[in-house]
Amino acid sequence: MEKSTDTSLYLRISDQDKEALEQLYDRYEKILFSFLYKMLEDRDLAEEALQEVFIKIWRGKGVYDESKGKFTSWLFRMAQNTAIDLIRKRKKPTVPIEEAAQTASNDAPVDVQVEWQEKQDQIQTAVQHLSAEQQKMIDLFYFKGHTHETIADMCDIPLGTVKSRIRLALKKLKTSLHGMQERGAYDD
Amino acid sequence: MTNMDCDHLVDYLNGTLSADEIQLFEQHLKTCTECQEIIEATGELPYLADPIEPPADMKARILSNVFEEKPEQDNPPAALDPAMSPIPLHRKKSKPNIWKPLIAAVFLASLLGNAYAFLQLSDQDDAPETAIESIELQPNEAFAGTATAAMIEEEGSLNLVVQADQLAELDASQVYQVWLIKDDQPIPAGAFSPNPNGEGASYYQLDADSTEWDTIAITLEPQAGNELPEGEIVLSAGI
Repeated sequence: MEKSTDTSLYLRISDQDKEALEQLYDRYEKILFSFLYKMLEDRDLAEEALQEVFIKIWRGKGVYDESKGKFTSWLFRMAQNTAIDLIRKRKKPTVPIEEAAQTASNDAPVDVQVEWQEKQDQIQTAVQHLSAEQQKMIDLFYFKGHTHETIADMCDIPLGTVKSRIRLALKKLKTSLHGMQERGAYDD
Repeated sequence: MTNMDCDHLVDYLNGTLSADEIQLFEQHLKTCTECQEIIEATGELPYLADPIEPPADMKARILSNVFEEKPEQDNPPAALDPAMSPIPLHRKKSKPNIWKPLIAAVFLASLLGNAYAFLQLSDQDDAPETAIESIELQPNEAFAGTATAAMIEEEGSLNLVVQADQLAELDASQVYQVWLIKDDQPIPAGAFSPNPNGEGASYYQLDADSTEWDTIAITLEPQAGNELPEGEIVLSAGI
């Protein structure tokens, strides 16, 4: 059977189709959990955030349509925002913990693993094109959810320029990602 | 970059815009390729995460919480009082024992009361649509608590829901155990511990072929998981 697109699953979920939500869950459980774990550094918090994301989707809080770009961008942004809410609510210092993180098991579908690996290679290369300071800013802004004040402190830059520098870093990321995607666009 | 709308991009990604500002920015987004592309690029960042194996039972937990959420209820499931959670139990075959004289005594004492409650119930038209049968349980003489049991049909399966209040506090290991009884043979049908407000609830899915019961009873058990009642009956009713 043909694989449903994310958008068609999303539309069925809007009609309270439980099966569609389960399919969407299966499709994104691992990447979302891994991403949320990277942000929150705690498995329980990552699960809490993931549950919150699916409750939001199920209840129709925040609406997706294709004018908002790719479904995954929307989904990941919702996950990222949910994690930031948790980080700010808890005010728990995010000390990096070397928790025994289990690496990818082989029971995930191969195509999912391959796609992830490809995307990871791409985005890693794109990030490496940024200056060390820009990389740090993206990490603090995107993954750690720090306020502009904290970022100004930690990167030792004036508070007034934090926003424009984040934007600049993201813009550079976009440019190098685009360059790579164009070069790699002949794989199909 | 002088565009004020583009200026909101970072706040948009950061989730710090108000609902109105989000709407305005999304309008802007429809016509601004650069902001669109930056958002798409940002959407690739999660793939930097190293794959972590999710807990095997997480899916069941999350999906059941998602589907249980009532739209009008604003509390996240984490805020629910864990003391009120039903304790899952496995049904097993049981053999008759001391149960018979116990239930007979309590049942006799409360028979008249039940008959009256039933008559009253059958006159009510405003019962929830899904509850096909609802019963007030009668307390034994020394017991102050009250409980209501209802059979609820949901998506083709039959569930027994018991709600109780004014319950006395229990020792850590004790539970209130619900039993369904047919011909003096009890099977466990859910258990609960009271929360600090003295309220408790259990939820038990019945087998499709098990609709024929004659009695429901709640006992105070010394520990959870008993397959046959050990403690005394505190509430009961005929079905």
